[in-house]
Amino acid sequence: MPDWVQFVVERLPELGLRTVQHLALTGVSTALAVLVGVPLGILALRVARLKGLILGTAGILQTIPSLALLTLLLVLFHKIGALPAIVALTLYALLPIVRNTVTGLEGISADILEAARGIGMTPRQETFMVRLPLALPVIIAGVRTAAVTAVGVATLSAFIGAGGLGQFINRGLALANWGLILLGAIPAAILALLVDLLVAGVRWAVDPERRIERRRRPDTALRCLALAAPVLLLAGGSLGYARTRPDVTIGSKPFTEQIILGHMLAELIEAHTDLKVDRRFCLGGTMICHEALDNGEIDLYIEYTGTGLMAVLGRDMIADPDEVYRVVSREYLDKFDARWMPPLGLNNTYAIAVRREDAKRHGWEKVSDLRPYAAELRIGFPFEFYERPDGYQPFTAAYGFEFGEVREVQAGLMYDVIRAGEVDVIPAFATDGRIAEYDLVPLEDDRRFFPPYYAAPVVRTTTLLRYPRLEPVLAKLAGVLDDETMQRLNFRVDGKGEAPDAVAREFLSSERLLP
Amino acid sequence: MITLSNVSKSFDGGETFAVRNLSLTVDDGETLVLLGSSGCGKTTTLKMINRLIEATEGRIEVGGRDVAGLDPVGLRRAIGYVFQGIGLFPHMTVRQNIEVVPRLLAWPAEKRRRRALELLELVDLPPDQYAERLPRRLSGGQQQRVGVARALAADPAHLLMDEPFGALDALSRDALQQEMLDLKRRLGKTVVFVTHDIFEALTLGDRIAVLHRGELQQVGPKEELLGRPATPFVRELFEKPAKQLAAYREAL
Repeated sequence: MPDWVQFVVERLPELGLRTVQHLALTGVSTALAVLVGVPLGILALRVARLKGLILGTAGILQTIPSLALLTLLLVLFHKIGALPAIVALTLYALLPIVRNTVTGLEGISADILEAARGIGMTPRQETFMVRLPLALPVIIAGVRTAAVTAVGVATLSAFIGAGGLGQFINRGLALANWGLILLGAIPAAILALLVDLLVAGVRWAVDPERRIERRRRPDTALRCLALAAPVLLLAGGSLGYARTRPDVTIGSKPFTEQIILGHMLAELIEAHTDLKVDRRFCLGGTMICHEALDNGEIDLYIEYTGTGLMAVLGRDMIADPDEVYRVVSREYLDKFDARWMPPLGLNNTYAIAVRREDAKRHGWEKVSDLRPYAAELRIGFPFEFYERPDGYQPFTAAYGFEFGEVREVQAGLMYDVIRAGEVDVIPAFATDGRIAEYDLVPLEDDRRFFPPYYAAPVVRTTTLLRYPRLEPVLAKLAGVLDDETMQRLNFRVDGKGEAPDAVAREFLSSERLLP
Repeated sequence: MITLSNVSKSFDGGETFAVRNLSLTVDDGETLVLLGSSGCGKTTTLKMINRLIEATEGRIEVGGRDVAGLDPVGLRRAIGYVFQGIGLFPHMTVRQNIEVVPRLLAWPAEKRRRRALELLELVDLPPDQYAERLPRRLSGGQQQRVGVARALAADPAHLLMDEPFGALDALSRDALQQEMLDLKRRLGKTVVFVTHDIFEALTLGDRIAVLHRGELQQVGPKEELLGRPATPFVRELFEKPAKQLAAYREAL
């Protein structure tokens, strides 16, 4: 069996789940957009003053970049998951539907409208008996555009935890894994074609010529099928979405270590309980993971003590790891009704890393050693590091110097970028396998700026109460991973391209944690 | 009966008049033809009768009632209308098109259907062949027969026809004119018929009203218009075709 076939077959159950989710997201939002957009189009026709307002608003909505809209709704709703995703997708689908409805309703020939008026139709009857049926093909063309666009935009909603095929794409992007990206992208493309075909089928079926002039049996059956297919698919998708509602949803941030650890949690729970697990990985970042946990969109994810302390709780840095763990445990229970489980052992703190040859040449050992060279040096990091309370700004304040140039680099690419010599300094993750593999040197944090970042599962208390079996299972992971082990596992995925779920599974079984 | 008393219409607030101070009576069962070249105000006059256009001044009565006091929608349903552009609804079958006004008047389905089939017979389109077809499958002449059937569907006493055969080829036009004569005799409707075609006017009109630049030149039976033209315009109008024909003969 070729590798890629095995790759796909192994992920078939999840592929099914994601496709159903994708279909539900797309279908529900397109249906909503039709329910809202067609009446809006009719309103725009009937009330001339509103036309500009309606078309203008729909137009503006569509010019907002999709990711920005998703994030905006996230902020407004304070909720991640399907709801903001469906709202965003609906808003996007609105413009083509409203615009085509108005165009269709207005594009009726003057002769026909004069006849409608002259034989005594009221404006309302004219709209519903004449304009609307004649505008139907144009309106359906709008729905077609909207639905196909929605399939595409829906891939972005995985970013805010709504699932769908975007899950694979996000995971693939985080891992630089083409297989995973294609596993999301190809079915999404097929889905778009399918949706296009379905709507074209509806257009075909409502054609008056076919409806009226060819009443032969096979044709009628086919027409019914064409009309029923989208409804069935929508109902099936929504039902599937509702029924695949998992018992436990595990989140993760969008980078390798989080994905491996997320898989470990999932594999462990699946092996020791009969709970249905949904791996909703690669959420947009710490705050999205936290919001998701707080809102119950996910039940648990791996958080780092320092991140919890400063980024989530907004507290000042504490250097003592045990104290940090005590504070976050107490405060999370208080504020978010969530429990910190025993730490896994690894401390994924930031390590200011440079190329070994540079360190050797200049004799760098500690971060402070960089001070005389800083103005000449370029530092690169992902945007998250810029905003964090233990990020770049406080770092420069603590060490009293800034780097000559700051470049924004995606977390996954940071190591390649420094190896290629495009930047000179990066805030590496201490557990990243590429530190050793790429011949980088972590400098000693001599001012003790970076807080400890011990990884531990954070779980909603309600979930632990609902499934009491969960707690002893999660406790099995206590202290099983040190930094070096984590570096190795990370490198197997980042450096050697192994699948993170397989790496997680193998590790668990080598530690005899799987039955 | 339709009566127009001192009716005027201005589209620009009184600067110019499309129809000026027009008074006309159409007797029950009579066909009055409004004849004139384009822009003479004949279609405007027609549309004022069922209030597709509102008169600026004057009074219009249909069946003895002032139309200004009637609901325009109800008025239009009570008057049959045949349109210059035919205006059949392309998404409805021939039968559904004929049934539209009865449907608006909430007739029961079976009665509507019977009426539609009956009318198809009347306009010489065998129902079993044409009732369930879409208008686009029909020729122009056939389409306007359906248009006439649609206008007659709710059995209105009054019929307005706005250059109904203007868009048809000469053969279809002749055929439809003959049928129109036949229908007139059989149904006894009160008809206002707009045309710019002199021969059509002479063929169909019990009386003819000649309009020019919004003003009535003369109204009367064709003998009167041909024999005693009231204005030079009317004389010129009826003499022109004969003169043209003579000129062609000469040239040959």
